[in-house]
Amino acid sequence: MSAWTVIRHEELGSAQASIEFTSIPQTYTDLVLVLSLRTTTGTAWSDGKLEFNNVTTGYSTRTLFGSGSTASSITETVLNIRVSSNANTASTFGNQMIYIPNYTSSTQKSVSIDQVTENNATQALQAIYAGLSDITSAITSLKVTATSGTSYAQYSSATLFGVTKGSSGGVTVS
Amino acid sequence: MPTATYIALANTTLTSAASSVTFSSIPATYRDLVLVVTYNSVNEFILAEFNADSGNNYPFVEMWANGTGPANSGTGTVSGAYIGYSAQNVQQQGIIHIMDYSATDKHKTCLARSGAGFSLAAVASRWTNTNAITSVKVKAQLGNFAIGNTFALYGIVS
Repeated sequence: MSAWTVIRHEELGSAQASIEFTSIPQTYTDLVLVLSLRTTTGTAWSDGKLEFNNVTTGYSTRTLFGSGSTASSITETVLNIRVSSNANTASTFGNQMIYIPNYTSSTQKSVSIDQVTENNATQALQAIYAGLSDITSAITSLKVTATSGTSYAQYSSATLFGVTKGSSGGVTVS
Repeated sequence: MPTATYIALANTTLTSAASSVTFSSIPATYRDLVLVVTYNSVNEFILAEFNADSGNNYPFVEMWANGTGPANSGTGTVSGAYIGYSAQNVQQQGIIHIMDYSATDKHKTCLARSGAGFSLAAVASRWTNTNAITSVKVKAQLGNFAIGNTFALYGIVS
């Protein structure tokens, strides 16, 4: 049996400001969120944010990103989801992969994000993030919200996977 | 029904502090291995030692950042494939992907991502050995993993 299970897949039939997964089953070990997003407005790219359990504070992130000309590092207090915008190449969506281990635990939640704002031009962004949420309860919902004044475009999508640890093949651990 | 390709092999959650966790008897059935580690310790290099080879046989190249300075890059050789570095006692994660682990005609290459809300790193490592990997020892280079730290090994089917 595969360790990865699709919990839910959403594809937008029309633009909307956010994508939310609620009532996340507590039966998996880790969560993986895979996003394909584009906003209806914006400039070089568009910011957004990922939040857990409708909690808006207590996030910290260290980001390493490259723009095609420079590499930089910044600190943020949100889990920033940077995506392609309406200013980018047509029919092009940015991709994000977000890994959240031990999402049901009573400890703080570490978050790993890999993302790119796809654009067939000089302004595109590839970034990796290490994030931390001080939520010490289980994650039961998560929400990705476009920055104020814009929305995620039709055909944007989000897939939430559950990853389950287990044993097979005779591998032992000590 | 789709064919399962990402298989859970073994896992553990520490109930007491330990300097290492070892996965043994890894079959040559899969193409790649993926190891997911969550840890919280201070000033530790977290490494993956293959087949009990504790020599400095793991060259690496890395890029890392802490959010307050420029992006950094470096190289080195250590006694295990680089998973991460813990600079503060907060919950952190490290994920290392070990490619072609069962091959006997090549050195073993690994890609790792690690960090938490204060620093992050992306590292490429290589074990300079052509033997198939049959054991993986995850070790804290200077001290111990803490109670509650988790270790999960997965195999990816070709």
